[in-house]
Formats: sequence, C-alpha cells, structure tokens
Amino acid sequence: MNEWILTFVIFSPVVGVVVLLLSNGSRPAQIRGTAFAFSLLTALLALVAAVMYYQSDGSASGGFALEQSVEWLPASLGGQRNIDVRYHVGVDGISLWLLLLTAFLGPLAIWASFTDIAERVKEYYALMLLLQAGMLGVFCAMDLLLFYVFFEFTLVPLYFLIGIWGGPEKRRAANKFFIYTLAGSVLTFAGVLFIAYFAYARSGTFTMDINTLTAMAHDSPVPRGVQWWLFLAFAAGFSIKVPLFPVHTWLPLAHTEAPTAGSVILAGILLKLGTYGFFRISLPMLPDGTIAFAPFMATLAVIGIIYGSLAAWVQRDIKKLVAYSSVAHLGFCMLGMFSLKMAGLSGSVMYMLNHGLSTGALFLVVGMVYERYHTRDIKAIGGLARPMPWLAFFLILFTLSSVGLPGLNGFVGEFMVLLGAATSQSTADGLPPGPLGYAYVIPAALGIILGAVYMFWMCQCVLFGPLKEPAHTPDMSRGLTRDLTLREIGILAPIAAACVIIGVWPKPVLKTLDSSIRANIAANYRDETVPDSGVETRWTEAVPESHRLDLFTDGSQADG
Amino acid sequence: MDVGILKTCGILILLLPAAGTVLVGALGRPVLRGRSHWPVILGVAGAVICSFVVLGQFGGVSGDEAHGDTQAVVSVYQWIATGAPETREAPAAWFNISFLFDPLTCVMLVTVTGVSLLVIIYSREYMRQHGHPERGYERFFAFLGLFVFSMCALVLSGNFLLLYLGWEAVGLCSYLLIGFYYGKPEAAAAAKKAFLVNRIGDFGFGLGILLIYLTFNTLDYQAVFGMVADRATASGAALTDGRITAIALLLFCGAVGKSAQIPLYVWLPDAMEGPSPVSALIHAATMVTAGVYMVARCGVIFTQSSLAMAVVASIGAVTALFAATIALTQHDMKRVLAYSTISQLGYMFLGLGVFAATSAIFHLFTHAFFKALLFLAAGSVMHAMGGVIDMRRFSGLRRIMPWTYRTFVIGGLALAGFPLLSGFWSKDEIIHAAMTRSPLLGAIGLLTAVMTAFYTFRMVFRAFHGAQRVPPGVHAHEAGKWILVPLCLLAVGAIGAGYVNVHIRGGGFLGFLEPGAAFESFLHPAVAPFASASHHASSEHGGGHMLMYLSGLLAVAGIGVAWWVYVRRPDLAGGLARMSPQAYDLSYNKYYVDEMYDAGVVKPLRGSGKLAFGIDEYVIDGLIWLVTAVPRLLAFGLKGLQSGSLQGYAVTMAAGFAIILLLVLWM
Repeated sequence: MNEWILTFVIFSPVVGVVVLLLSNGSRPAQIRGTAFAFSLLTALLALVAAVMYYQSDGSASGGFALEQSVEWLPASLGGQRNIDVRYHVGVDGISLWLLLLTAFLGPLAIWASFTDIAERVKEYYALMLLLQAGMLGVFCAMDLLLFYVFFEFTLVPLYFLIGIWGGPEKRRAANKFFIYTLAGSVLTFAGVLFIAYFAYARSGTFTMDINTLTAMAHDSPVPRGVQWWLFLAFAAGFSIKVPLFPVHTWLPLAHTEAPTAGSVILAGILLKLGTYGFFRISLPMLPDGTIAFAPFMATLAVIGIIYGSLAAWVQRDIKKLVAYSSVAHLGFCMLGMFSLKMAGLSGSVMYMLNHGLSTGALFLVVGMVYERYHTRDIKAIGGLARPMPWLAFFLILFTLSSVGLPGLNGFVGEFMVLLGAATSQSTADGLPPGPLGYAYVIPAALGIILGAVYMFWMCQCVLFGPLKEPAHTPDMSRGLTRDLTLREIGILAPIAAACVIIGVWPKPVLKTLDSSIRANIAANYRDETVPDSGVETRWTEAVPESHRLDLFTDGSQADG
Repeated sequence: MDVGILKTCGILILLLPAAGTVLVGALGRPVLRGRSHWPVILGVAGAVICSFVVLGQFGGVSGDEAHGDTQAVVSVYQWIATGAPETREAPAAWFNISFLFDPLTCVMLVTVTGVSLLVIIYSREYMRQHGHPERGYERFFAFLGLFVFSMCALVLSGNFLLLYLGWEAVGLCSYLLIGFYYGKPEAAAAAKKAFLVNRIGDFGFGLGILLIYLTFNTLDYQAVFGMVADRATASGAALTDGRITAIALLLFCGAVGKSAQIPLYVWLPDAMEGPSPVSALIHAATMVTAGVYMVARCGVIFTQSSLAMAVVASIGAVTALFAATIALTQHDMKRVLAYSTISQLGYMFLGLGVFAATSAIFHLFTHAFFKALLFLAAGSVMHAMGGVIDMRRFSGLRRIMPWTYRTFVIGGLALAGFPLLSGFWSKDEIIHAAMTRSPLLGAIGLLTAVMTAFYTFRMVFRAFHGAQRVPPGVHAHEAGKWILVPLCLLAVGAIGAGYVNVHIRGGGFLGFLEPGAAFESFLHPAVAPFASASHHASSEHGGGHMLMYLSGLLAVAGIGVAWWVYVRRPDLAGGLARMSPQAYDLSYNKYYVDEMYDAGVVKPLRGSGKLAFGIDEYVIDGLIWLVTAVPRLLAFGLKGLQSGSLQGYAVTMAAGFAIILLLVLWM
C-alpha cells in the first residue's frame, strides 16, 4: 500500500475524468457532483499519504518516502541497457506540503465553479481534474523526465480552461500563456537531457533519477562552468513559471482572463511549479551554479517585489491587481530561496504554501464579487461591506494574510524569508555563508509597505464608502444570494482556518520542512566548493572520452 | 514571586479577552445582539483581575533589589523556526511565544486593562441611539476585545517577535475601529491612512528587529539586553557604536509611527473618525503609548547611543511644541484632543530622551487617565449633540450636562498641569529632567505647557460656557449611568493618580509634597539602564521646587488667558486670528503637511506604478513581440514561395541544384 499511495493520489482525478466521460448523464448537477466527489477522494488520499509519510522512516530523517519506482523507458546505448528512465514517485517534507496544498485547493476550486460554469460543463470538470492530476504528479515525480512530462502536461488543460471559459480576451491570454511558458521550458528540457548526459558520463547510466542526480552533485559535481549553463537552462523555464521579473508579463493577462477556478489554481499552485523546480532541481543539483547566480536572481526578485507592487497599485481591475501582487509575492519566495540559509529556504516553502492559500482565496473572493456584479472594475463597485458582511470579513482576513500580518500565515513565511536574506552571511544555522546580505532586505521591506498600500486601497474601494453597484445588479439568477451563500462560505472557511492555524502554530510544517531541506538540499552546500574549471569549460572536456555519446561518429568526427 | 502563577495569569490575560471576542464574533449577531458587550466586559474584567494578581506578585519585591528577581521570563510554546539546528548550543532554534514580567510590564498591564474595562463599560451606552444598539454593535465589542488581546500581547511579550505581533495587531484593531463607520468615505480613508503610516514606521522597526537578530543571533529580550550591556555580539566581535545606534534608530522609527511623532503623526488626527471610545482607548490611553513603552523597554539599547537619545529627546520636544501650536486653532474638540495627545506623547519621548524613563512612564500612566477622561467626556458631548463635535455649533452646555462638564474640567485641569492634579506631577518631572539636561529642551517643555493650558480651556470655555446653544433638531441631555460612572472613576484617577509617586515630606512642594516615591522605586529595576546611564541618578529636586511653582503658575496663566479671550472678551478671539492671518492659516491647516506628503510621496509613487505597468505593456511585451516577429516575418517572406504553381517549384529546384553543383565543383 505504501508504495502505491502516491500513484493513487496522482491518478484518482484521472479516474474521475474517465467516469465523467463514460457516464452519459448530462445534467450539470450530476457532473459537478461527480467531479467534486473525485476531487474530494483525491484530497482524502493525499491526507492518507501524509499520515503514511509521518509514520515512515523518511519523516524522521527528512528523506523521501512512499517511493514507487517502475521501469518506464528502458533503452540502450551502444548495446548495454544504460538508459534508465523510470516512473519514480515519492515525497519528502517539501513536496508533501505542496502536495497537500494542491489536494486542498483542488476541491475548493471545483466547488467554486458550481455557479460560475454553465456551458460545456462536462469538458470543464474533466479538464479541471486533469489539471489536478498533472500538478500532483509534478510534486511527486522523482525522475526528471516524469517531472518534465507532468510539468508540461499542466499547460494543456489550463490552455483550454482559459481559452474556452475565459473572459473577453481569452484567446490572446491562452496563446500568450501557452507559448510564453512553453518557450522557457524547452530550454529546461535541454537542461534535463544535458544533466542526464552528465550522469551518463560519470556513471555510465543515462539516468534522470532525482535522488541519483542530487547525490551526484554531492559526490562528483558537474564542473562549475557547466553548472552555470545548466542553471541558466533550468532557470529559463522555471523563472517564467514563477514568474520572475522581467518574464512575468504573461501572468496578469492569463490571471485576468481565466475563469475563477483557473485563476485560483494558476496562482495557488501552478506558479509554485516554478519555485518547486528551483527547489528540487537547481538548488540541490547545481549548488555552485546557484551560488554564482544567487545575487542576480535575488536582485531580480527584489525588483519584482517593488515593481509588482507598484504596478498592482495602479490597476483598476481587481483580478489584475491580485495578479500583480503575485509577482511581488513570488519575489519574496525567490529571495528567501537564494539566501541559501535554513530560515530563508524554509521560509520560501512556507511562503509558497501561504501564497497559495491567501492569493487563491483572494481570487475566489474576487470571483464571488464578479459573479454578482459582472465587473471587476474597482471604481464601479463600492461599499460592499454593508450588504455583504461575510464577504467583507473574508476579504479583509485574506488581505491581512497577504500583507503579512503577524498571527496569520503570511507573516511566518515573510519573516523567515527576510531573516534568511538578512543573515545570509552568518553560519549560525550550520550552513556555509550564503551569497546575499542585509542590503537585499531593505528594498524587500519597502515592498511590504507597498503591499499594504495596494491591498488596503483595494479594500477601501470595494468594501467601504457609500454603496455603489452597477445597474441591474447584483445578479442572483444562478441561485446566489446578496451576501455569500453557505456554499461560498464553505469554500472560504477552510482556507481561513488554515491561514489562522498556520499563523499561530506553524511548527508542524516548519519541523518537516527543516529536516527535509537539511537532508535533500542543504547537504549539497559545503564549505569547500567545486574546483573552478573556469567559465570557459567546454562540456566536452568535462566528459571522459569513453563516455561521449557517439551520435555523430560517422560524420562529423571524421574530418577531425 | 511564583512563576507558575505569572504564566497562568499571562495566558489568561491574553485568552480571556480573545475568548470574549470569539464569543461575540460567533454569537453576537444571531443570539446576543444588544447584549454583545457582556462577553467582552467579562473577559476584560478577568484580565484586569489577572493583571492585579501579577502586580501583587511584584508588590513584595518592589524596590528591594537585594532579592534580585524583579524579572521573570516564561515561555509558552515554540512559534517560528530560526533555522538554527536544535542540537547545537545555539541560543534558540525557535522564536517562542514567551512573556517577560517585570515592574514595567505590571504598570502597563494594569493601565491597559483598567482603562480598557472602563471604556468598554462606557461603550455599552455610547454605542446606542435612544437605547437601541447601533448598527455593528457586536462588531464593535468584538474588535475591542481583540484590541485588549493585542495590546496585552505587546506588553507581555518576552521577545521582539511577539512584540512585533502585538505591534501589528494593535495597528490592525486601530484600522478596524477607525473604519468602524466604513460607510463614511472619510472614515475609510482615515483607517487606511492609519494603517499605512504605521507600516512606514514598522518598516524601520522590522529592519531593526532583523538587525538585532543579525547582531545577536536571538530576539529574546534578556539575551539581547544582556549582550548589549556587555557590548558583545553573537559572532564574538565587539559591538560597535554604529551598529547599536542603527538598531536604536530603526526601532525608534516604529515608535515614531505608532506613537504619532513627527514626521509620522499625520494619521492620528484623522483617526478621530472612529467612535469616541476608540479614540479614548486606542488613540489616547493605550496603543499610541506603545512606542514609549518600547523605548523604555529597550532602554539598554537606547542609552548606549547618545545620538539615539538625542534624536528621541529632540523629536519628542519638537513634536510636543509643534502639535500644541496646531491644537490652538482647531474647532473639532476631538481633533484638539488628538493634537494634544501627540503633544503629550512628545513629552514622554522628551522624558525618555533625557534619561528620565520613570517620569516618562509616570506621565504615560497619568495621561492614560486624564486623556481617556477627556475623550470620553467629549464623546458624551458628541452623543448628546447627535454626532456634532464642532465647537462652532454649540456652546454653554454646562447646565445641560453638569456631570460631563465637571469631569471634563477635571480632565482639562489635569492635562493643563494645574497644581496638585495628576498631570502636574508627571509633566513637571519631565520638564525638570529636561531642564537639567538642556535648558532649551526645558524651555520648549514650559512653552508647550502654557499652550496646553490655553487650548484645553479654550475648549472648556467654548463648549461649556457662554450662551446655551445646540445644533438644530438636537434634544440635548445628560448621559446615563453607563457613561457617567466610568467618567467619574476616571476623574478620580485624573485627580489622584499622580499621588502614587508623591510622598509627604517637610520642605517639598507647598511645604510638604515631594515627588519621587513608590512608583519610582517600584519601576526603577525595569528602567535601571536609564538611571545608570544618566549622571544624575534620581529625580531629586536638588535645586528646590522653583520649577514646580513656575510650571504651576504657567498652567494657571494659560487658563487665565483662555478665560480672558473666550469668556471675558469673546470678541478678542476672532481678533487674534485676524492679527496674524498667515500664522493662523498655517496652524489651522496643520502646516499643510498632508498636502506635502501627497505631492511628495503618494503622487510620485503612483506615477512610478503607472510607469511600471507601462513598461510591462509596451517595453517588455514589445520586446517579446519583436522576438516572435522574427518567425512571423520569415513566414511572411517565405509565404510567397509557396504559390502552388508547379513550374515555379521546378525552376527553384533546378536553380538550387545548380548552385549546389557549382559549390561542390569549386570547393
């Protein structure tokens, strides 16, 4: 059972898709119910997986657990069976929490679509479940090819979700989103192949196993000059996904045009695929590349914090405002990560979780407003606190969580990120000195002020002042009430509870993160660095002659 | 002293008001409605009792430094990870929820919970119109409970992180309560402004906390203060003056925001949009004094840096004077009181800056009584006037509202520093300390004292004296007992609170009253760094009591002038304003500071936001368009080749073949 549980988690939504497509019932209520039931089943299975993880040996040491490894693409080069690409899944403390976040937000996003989606219902829910499966797969994958397949697969359902059920500019948004992110991840794929090739050069096996590659970075690292190129290749795909300034411009459009549930998933989880990619691949496998580029990445992150906040402040579309806030928030996430300190690293993962909760919830709230007023223009609505006290309560709570009020979840991640960046040079956490310093904290802290500026400005416009509603609204034709319905409260309340609990008692999460980060990431950062073979190192020189791939033996090498 | 009792009390002080809030939040609207005040009153009353139990624990050891334990730290649970390995001999792998109990904590707890209880009782009647609960009645009490919780967390905290939590949480409550009448655009704007201006201060405060962690590798008060006193750092290097000054000034940024000092005071006058009990509790008696508390708490850090102390003292003095000049011309009673609060907080910082921390905390203590009293009495007027608080629209209320009048006068006398009332004792101590340190600061203190007396009684005479006049359509009446009882209790405090620090001795003020008594010796261990850093250790009035007579005289003079101008010769008031219109306009328009901020900060920032968005839309997306234009252009160019005519393809093929052939042959 232990080794099957993750597979069950990943593929239970797919079973849901099959059931949906096979059933010939076309009543929307029935379809919604089926989809919701399967997403709940997935969440339940993920919970079971979490319990199993805590009972396994992995949780104590921080290592991976619940692993399942099956040969997937066995192939040979030059006669031996030396290409070893496997279906290998497993979780550690880092991915477990992201898995739980995904499983948690999935049903809520589906539940939130009940009144929103009225046409092509069956396709919609099938795509939502597929998307869910893809994201769960990314967090469980322990083989780079599997990771990449899931990583790219998520694009497909989301492309259709935006393109079919999106807003007025849905076509443009879907295309931009798809091509933008695909362009980056093609480079990532080159990186994947390249690092696997290095493993082949070292060990004679063309492996993409994350464990093996991580261990390789520790025992016989890739030369520094090569690490730089690899880092850039991975960063190309991951930075766009994060999104890091200046490759963030796909995000506001995609977020704005996507249907509510799409925005929730996009902000809540899909952006984390980028940061998770950095965490799982770049940081452990390319420690020297990471150290070399950390100041650069952190600078972009800090620019993104300020820039995203300023841009958010001048938006009139609430959704765009929240979208730009994501640019700023993910900047914090990246800043903590590249501090390469325990506090910063844990804080970064914490930030991923918290951003998923609070921004996901903000998109839900905005969607609930939109369903009633058919506008997202901040200036067109106002004073909603009076007719909608429940909405006001949740919007203010998630705003506070988003601006990092202590006692709520956002603060824990934000503070640890800043702490990590500030103390990057110290060695009190047992890690070698990191590449950042106190100077990075000052602009980031300015970003915190700006974060409060635009969020509170939005709250003031939407909730306070005299009541302002567009003509012929609120639209209650789809069974909505003036204030939030019980269903809507039921969607937001669990997120609110999670925000408060994590804010007051984050220890269970932090403890798991700490041991896993130490075991799987920090272990590769040692005081001594890889001998510098120079930036000029050509990749061919780093590979022994005997292990070079003989793809072009017949042609190009003849004229040497 | 029993640590177990302290821990239990500390937890209860936090949990009881919080439980009240949760209860009202859950049951207020559907069940409790008009009775929503009860859970919060009971919760806060419990907190008051616990605070006194804590005080009792310290009562036995007060001033008796031989015992050595005037401090107790209790840890409740582990909160946020520091990232340090737990196995190591690191100071802490976790930031804890921990409490620090010492005399300063006791004074603050008793003040905060006591005044809160009275204000909450007062609100029971104030938040009703003709006996019916106002809209949002339960919300109001829920927020008040949350505030007491947050403020107590701030005061109880044993480390900088929990302090920061309380610090931000009281800011949140302030935001929620200023914006209580959120339907009013001014209230919503004021709430936002309060939160944001505080955030600017907290920017420095947060950076200061990070710098503390960077320097000392811990955020626990005891550990940090211990290392500062030894001039040590976590890395073993000596603590430099630059670093300690930077920490002190960054922390002080937070205090400037929270306690509304120049240049971040602008939020407090606007905060008067909140209901009057909120102004009394949060924006006069408790929350705004958090900055004073924090500086006193971090005395070890501040006193190590003479620059920081000079900054604290001068900002305090300048704010005291500056705010007093604005208060001279305002017509809104609550705004006058707000500027007066800013000014009095300035006094407190002045006291801290001249190493008289006991006097500053003493002033904080007495100020809590008389300023809460003044706000509540002004609230009573506002309640009776149907929400009008502009002094141009009513006068002569003393016959309609005799008890409100009496208590207001008592509060006013205490604020003005009239001899023998509480404000007199505490303010005089500060002026005395400032005078010994620097005659200039002392002179500013005295000048401010005259103005204080003048504007306070300008308010008394305009509102309560003269011809009886009320806004049209208002049936003015004296308030009921729920309002009057808290007023009277606070009035007793405003008269008597000063005597906790006065003892009877031959040759003192008026021949028998000598300042500096139980309060000072009780508090002394908690603020010892100030006393030991200062060269004149105690506030002994060595040079006789001349200054006390002088400041008493000035208070009387200020009141006298106000009486002359507003009662005896009412025509003079307008004349004064006309005599120097520029000065009057400058003061009336609050020196145009809000406008300057808007033009100098807000507009440029919004402009850069527009710029950022423009860069996104045009520069970045333009570049991306250019990149994608390459394949598009190629496709466009090559499109012509795919014409579909077979002859064309054949010709091209032949030409290509010929070119290849030529190349191969020639090379």
